[in-house]
Amino acid sequence: MNQLHDAFTLFLSLLVEAMPFLLLGVTLSSSLLFLISEKQLIAKLPKNPVLGSLVGSCIGFLFPVCECGNVPVARRLLLSRVPPSVAISFLLAAPTINPIVIWSTWIAFGDRPNIVIFRVLFSAAIATIVGCIFSIQPDSRALLQTSFAKRLQPITTSQSDSISPLLQSGTFLLGQGKSIPFDDSLSVDIKQANSSNFRSKWQLFFTNLLAEFSELGGMLVFGSAIAATIQVFVPREIILSLGQDTITSILAMMLLAAVVSICSTVDSFFALSFAATFTSGSLLAFLVFGPTIDIKSVGLMASIFKPKIIIYIFTLVAQLTFIFTLAYSYFF
Amino acid sequence: MRSSSVQNRKKFFFPLLEGLSLLAWGVLLLKYSFTGQYKLLIHPNYYSLVLGSGLILLVLGIIKVKSIFNNRQPNNSDHISLFPPGLGNSLLLLVAIAGLLIPPKVLTSQTALKRGVGDLPLTTVQPQAFRTASKPEERSLIEWIRTINAYPEPDAYSGQTANITGFVLHLDELPDNYVMLSRFVITCCAVDAYPIGIPVKLDTNRSNYPVDSWLTVEGSAISETLPVKDRIETNAITEKRSVVIEARAIETIPTPKDPYSYR
Repeated sequence: MNQLHDAFTLFLSLLVEAMPFLLLGVTLSSSLLFLISEKQLIAKLPKNPVLGSLVGSCIGFLFPVCECGNVPVARRLLLSRVPPSVAISFLLAAPTINPIVIWSTWIAFGDRPNIVIFRVLFSAAIATIVGCIFSIQPDSRALLQTSFAKRLQPITTSQSDSISPLLQSGTFLLGQGKSIPFDDSLSVDIKQANSSNFRSKWQLFFTNLLAEFSELGGMLVFGSAIAATIQVFVPREIILSLGQDTITSILAMMLLAAVVSICSTVDSFFALSFAATFTSGSLLAFLVFGPTIDIKSVGLMASIFKPKIIIYIFTLVAQLTFIFTLAYSYFF
Repeated sequence: MRSSSVQNRKKFFFPLLEGLSLLAWGVLLLKYSFTGQYKLLIHPNYYSLVLGSGLILLVLGIIKVKSIFNNRQPNNSDHISLFPPGLGNSLLLLVAIAGLLIPPKVLTSQTALKRGVGDLPLTTVQPQAFRTASKPEERSLIEWIRTINAYPEPDAYSGQTANITGFVLHLDELPDNYVMLSRFVITCCAVDAYPIGIPVKLDTNRSNYPVDSWLTVEGSAISETLPVKDRIETNAITEKRSVVIEARAIETIPTPKDPYSYR
């Protein structure tokens, strides 16, 4: 009973710590809904795949959201016909390379600036590399989940097909024999956002904020509950014995990152609780791997990509994280 | 007819749940910041963050609930949600209510033993602030530990007066007339709290001072060789010369309002 109460206290402590950051992230991401026009952004994207991936991994600075918030943004980017390489590198980098996360990492690890700097560098490198690899596949539909690809198809065909301007709405396609319902809810969002009506803009902002808050808040409750349980019921000695040498400690922290799934805005505080017992290299592995891949974000990513592609992304990111952080622990 | 009434209820129920969970979280955060309980959960540096988000959540909740009763519901069909509708909010609401009913608890010896009491963690061994000017009798427990970390020779402290407060911890490896006077140090939130402690030599058996009771100890520092548990190999016990406080006067006090030290 005593232990349960301890666990509950730690659980609350994690939540109270994370709540302000969550609120901040959600507010920013909602206000960007109508502050930044995606159309203009896309027009400025470079065509070169390497540059495109690099830029994609930096878009996070404009959409400061953690891994739960960047999936909707990535979907919207893909629907606006951004190349998948850019979208993938955005998806992987945005949770780390954004002002809020860098700031919170700085607060947590201010006494060890190495960790902050290399967290950003490694995440950007991994996102760019993975983005480049996927740019080899020119047809984005091969990567995407079937129902999502279908939604993309009417847009691409109807717009490239200049013979029939009447079919712009995408509700009926020649040669397919049946009409395809074009789910335009996502573009409605943009239209609404561009409308000058202040009241509807504010309403959109408010609804989006609440929707994101409740969803991510629920996620946060789950993550914190798991984290608090591990803290109280698994003695640190067990984790300590896992993290004995350089290699196993990196693997243990990566495993922990995938299981715990806390948002990137607060995960540096979580990592801080292990700062005393783990090497800098393994903490870095946690901070780099956690935001990109975890149980929760795999669920969200399944709404975009085919399962096979998710496994590819997962494996690539895991291997790169391991190699980079191993190199870090040998050189620093 | 029936399906429309169900839909109506849904239209009313989920937004209400959303509004209530916002309100509950606003109230919970404000309660923590006004009662001072936030000190049990996070570093006081974050006080304004907690207070601010409490206020914002309360305002958002009020706007939401008001908009339900004014019947101005914008329909947002397009939200990719991992949860079935309402689950996220129900969870949030449930946790907030539980938080309002069950007060946070001061971490105890059990947690301390699990986390391993000792000096500061290995990674923070670099001295952070070394003030020789501080008078020994005015040093708090954490200041003692910091000073010892910066200059670990036990003999250097012999004879200095100590006046420190902490909770009692019984360590198996120490003889019967020693207790570990400990405190938790918080860097950010209770999750990262780690215990520090200094051995105190008593005149009597330590069973007079039960585990988790809070003491203010007055005494003088001496240097003694004590068995110390190895932090990594848990069964190895080594002898180590360490600073010990020989108690002259011990006072039992109630658990202080801010039981943690902060870094």
